[in-house]
Amino acid sequence: MKKSWLIAFILLLGSSLLLGGCNGQQAGTDRDEDTINISLNADPPKLDPAYSSALVDRMVFQSIFDKLVDLDQHGNIVPMLAEKREISPDDKTFIFHLRKGVKFQDGTDFNAEAVKFNFARYMQPDSVRRNELKLVDHVTALDPYTVKVQLKQPFAPFLAVLTDRAGMMVSPAAVQKEGKNFMNHPVGTGPFLYKSRIKGSTIVLEKNPHYWRKGLPKVNRVVYKVIVDPNVALMNLRSGDVDITNKFPPREIGRIINDAQVRVINHESEGYQGFHLNMAKPPFNKKELRQAVDLLINREAIAKVVFGPAGSPAYSPFVPSHFAYNPDDRPETPNVKKAKELLEKAGMKNGFTFTLKIPTTPAGQQVGQMIQNMLRPAGIHVQLEKVEFGTMIEQAETGNMQAVALGWSGRPDPDLNIYDFLASTGSQNYSHYSNPQVDRLLIDARREMDQSKRKAIYDRIMKIVHEDVPYVYLYNEHDVSGLSKNVQGFQYIPDGLIRTAELSKK
Amino acid sequence: MLAIPVVFLVTLMVFSLMHMLPGDPATVILGQEATPEAVAALRAELGLNKPLPVQYFDWLSGVLHGNLGNSLVDHTPVAQLIMERLPATIELTLGTFIVATLIAVPAGILSAVRPRSLTDYSGTLFALCGMSVPHFWLGMMLIILFAVKLGWVPASGYVPFFDDPLGNLSAMILPIIATGLRESAVLMRMMRSSLLEALQADYIRTAYAKGLKERLVILRHALKNALVPVVTTSGLVVAGLLGGLVITESIFSIPGFGKLIVDSIFNRDFVTVQGAVLVSALLIVLINLLVDILHFIIDPRIKSGKEVG
Amino acid sequence: MSRTAADSVPTPDQTQTRRESQWEDFFRRFARNKLAVAGAVIFVFLILTAVFAPWISTHDPIYDQDYSAILQSPGHNHLLGTDDLGRDTFSRLVYGARLSLEAAVVSVGIALVIGVPIGLVCGYFRGFWDEWIVMRIVDAMQAFPSLILALAMAAVLGGGFGNAIIAIGIGFIPSFVRITRSQVMSVTNQEFVQAARAVGANDWRIMFLHVLPNSLAPILVQTTLAMASAIIAEAGLSYLGLGAKPEEPSWGSMLNVAQGYLTIDPLLAFWPGLAIFLVVLGFNLLGDGIREVLDPKLDR
Repeated sequence: MKKSWLIAFILLLGSSLLLGGCNGQQAGTDRDEDTINISLNADPPKLDPAYSSALVDRMVFQSIFDKLVDLDQHGNIVPMLAEKREISPDDKTFIFHLRKGVKFQDGTDFNAEAVKFNFARYMQPDSVRRNELKLVDHVTALDPYTVKVQLKQPFAPFLAVLTDRAGMMVSPAAVQKEGKNFMNHPVGTGPFLYKSRIKGSTIVLEKNPHYWRKGLPKVNRVVYKVIVDPNVALMNLRSGDVDITNKFPPREIGRIINDAQVRVINHESEGYQGFHLNMAKPPFNKKELRQAVDLLINREAIAKVVFGPAGSPAYSPFVPSHFAYNPDDRPETPNVKKAKELLEKAGMKNGFTFTLKIPTTPAGQQVGQMIQNMLRPAGIHVQLEKVEFGTMIEQAETGNMQAVALGWSGRPDPDLNIYDFLASTGSQNYSHYSNPQVDRLLIDARREMDQSKRKAIYDRIMKIVHEDVPYVYLYNEHDVSGLSKNVQGFQYIPDGLIRTAELSKK
Repeated sequence: MLAIPVVFLVTLMVFSLMHMLPGDPATVILGQEATPEAVAALRAELGLNKPLPVQYFDWLSGVLHGNLGNSLVDHTPVAQLIMERLPATIELTLGTFIVATLIAVPAGILSAVRPRSLTDYSGTLFALCGMSVPHFWLGMMLIILFAVKLGWVPASGYVPFFDDPLGNLSAMILPIIATGLRESAVLMRMMRSSLLEALQADYIRTAYAKGLKERLVILRHALKNALVPVVTTSGLVVAGLLGGLVITESIFSIPGFGKLIVDSIFNRDFVTVQGAVLVSALLIVLINLLVDILHFIIDPRIKSGKEVG
Repeated sequence: MSRTAADSVPTPDQTQTRRESQWEDFFRRFARNKLAVAGAVIFVFLILTAVFAPWISTHDPIYDQDYSAILQSPGHNHLLGTDDLGRDTFSRLVYGARLSLEAAVVSVGIALVIGVPIGLVCGYFRGFWDEWIVMRIVDAMQAFPSLILALAMAAVLGGGFGNAIIAIGIGFIPSFVRITRSQVMSVTNQEFVQAARAVGANDWRIMFLHVLPNSLAPILVQTTLAMASAIIAEAGLSYLGLGAKPEEPSWGSMLNVAQGYLTIDPLLAFWPGLAIFLVVLGFNLLGDGIREVLDPKLDR
């Protein structure tokens, strides 16, 4: 008995050493012009658009999968796998004319049936995409290259949704073959095909030789390397082991200006950070207390101290570059006296204590401590509790909290940044906010196709929201990436995700 | 044979601990955008609705059939995850052990041969400092000095040894030194005290009396006897390293075994944690077995009698 | 964690009557051991720093945030510079002594209170429970990578400084059970105990009046060394983000913060590490010293 265990384990050890050795990532550190090395600040958990819930997944998806439509550098929606589209006058029927001659990386054809398959897959009960496609009624293939999508109601963000994971076309044949294991062998129509990965370390993609965009991709290989610490990523960028980093240490941005090798791409992201106040529970069932907290926060200071040039203060879910943003919507200057008056009105003259759940990230902890300090003069004591992201979501969903610092990475359409967070029935309404007027306006906004009219509706919503304060908007953390000066063909897209097809190296 | 109930207990402990953790794996895995239906579907699929004892025995019977199960997060076989992560940790462990032995054995011998000498005092002081330095801090200081200031080695960037031996070694040298220094301190103290003891034994005096040269006496007789506790300590060192390298692995971004366990705890990937801890417990049992075998080789009179304490 | 204490087991005197002169002897020999005295000095220094923290520190360690003085180098306003929120590093280090002392005392206290009685009873009575239940659980706990055990338990308990300390304390229990048990076993085998048992004296009386006092020496050594490990373990857990709250100036969480600024402000990582190192060195010196003093074999 003992002996057989021993033999088994010597075999295990030996084979693991060998396997580790042959794990097929010859790319390793090679620095030639044919490989683009991109560092990611986290290991992508799931390489399947149907089940993905992490921002880093979307980074890798840009190389493996194409979408029905894409964003251009100005944030406009442009054709990708759907060459042309027609929208019915009632805004409920979308007809997509698909690009012909496109093949999945496994050699099977991309056609209307594949699109139908993908919609059905994303709308299954266990798919994380289900919520984004909730208003899709049915999808029909009119002919091999024409697809009709019928919505239940007009839904302004629909095309924007299709520029992201819900619009990514995966190979039906590969899904049928791999089942749930598809995420370990993803197959799309994108410029690079999945080759191998070492969990927690590298993902290696190789050129898709049959890519439909002629002359692309320009390099033979893309390697994603997981480097959690942005300082370390920067060191690797300087040494040439990495060509692009997806995160950049904020305090290094100012120091990099004269760097001969490194270029910094610093753009506002589409998202926002802040914290939910649980309105279903004391103390934040009292409006005045929420207002007092909101009033005491100095957003400028937080953005500046924690992120320097890589952050800006935020007071709404919309970023300044966006059409829905209202430049007149500004927070009041923090005012302890007024906050104390609010406390008195709520019958909490001597202040109160609440627990704020914060993420375990360095920035999350810094922000938490600054909030703690800013609320203290009014007698509001903040207990900080560090919670891992997964647990935080669970506690937010079960309502097991008073306040929770959960932000949003942002989407191109304003509806996707506000509806689910503030509508009574919204899937991420962790504040338990319910205001019938806001509910009505939110629906009006998502049915309105005219941008200026939509903006007017959102202005009205934000006015009410600032009065009710279900959520304290704090700051926008920019998308900052570092780029080796050797890299050519880089184009910043407002969703912050790196497109790899046109990248090349000197 | 005692090892079997121990390993069994370990699996039971890790299973209970994992299921006491706050945070439902299905919610954690699906994240912010999941609908309640999706969470319920995933719970059912992962078998999380079954009673705990049933879950445990399902898992255990899988293990007994050689199947460690699949990761809850991405369905990768746990055995494969472990295979991917073990090489880095084994390399780190072996490297640490080699560095530790290279420092500890000569230093320990020198100290013991000339007790109360300057060499002995500096050796003792070195050992005490080595034991007291938090190795994660040492790791950071090494990064600052050799990677940031001097730029001699990359701060991180693990590559498997067989892909790029040089790149691998340059990435592994700092972590190996950071942990090796501490472990060498532990080993050196053991070496010194057991050799001191051995040198006082009667037969050494006899050997002296017979007129053999001092050096020969020490090397042949005393050292052989002194090695027994040193081997035991080495076993403990190696066993401790397998799971104890978590922090080193996370400072230097090495995709190792410890980091797999910690990441899986954070992701609530119970199956992976259970499998990985089982493997590490088995490895520890294996190392103890090796230690016994080594004892027997060094001194055949020992009948695998393990110390009680 | 336990391995350092196991290398030599002092043999205590058998008679109680000589205990007083034994203590005198102990202190005399202790005073002669330079390293041990150095350890004691560091230990006393830690206690004084912890007690008088409010008087020693120059700033409030938590709430004195100065956003215009972030990550400053050492200077006249801030003796050791400031951290990423403009707080005074020196003052945080001083208050950190409290947390480290607390971590050491509470976690080892837990291990002592639970581990020693179990070891005592097991070593004295032996038998099925000892051999097949307690010692197997101890084995199993030790076959678990200790840091991971602490980490998982801290996560189960919900993180935070107090819970991290409890988790560390639980992790120490097995080594205290082992050390007490093996010492108790050897004491129990000695003639005076066997004689007392033979004449039918009450077992519990023998255990607490004869066996335990004569088993204390190695437990004392282990206590000191475990305190050293506890400080490192707390720092490690806080470094991994499972220990102290962000605002609490634990040396480990200070290191955690400092790691983000290794390239910009390396000194920020230097100070807390140095503090941990010195305090742990102090405990190790003390433990070593006590062991040498108690172990006549080593004192030549």
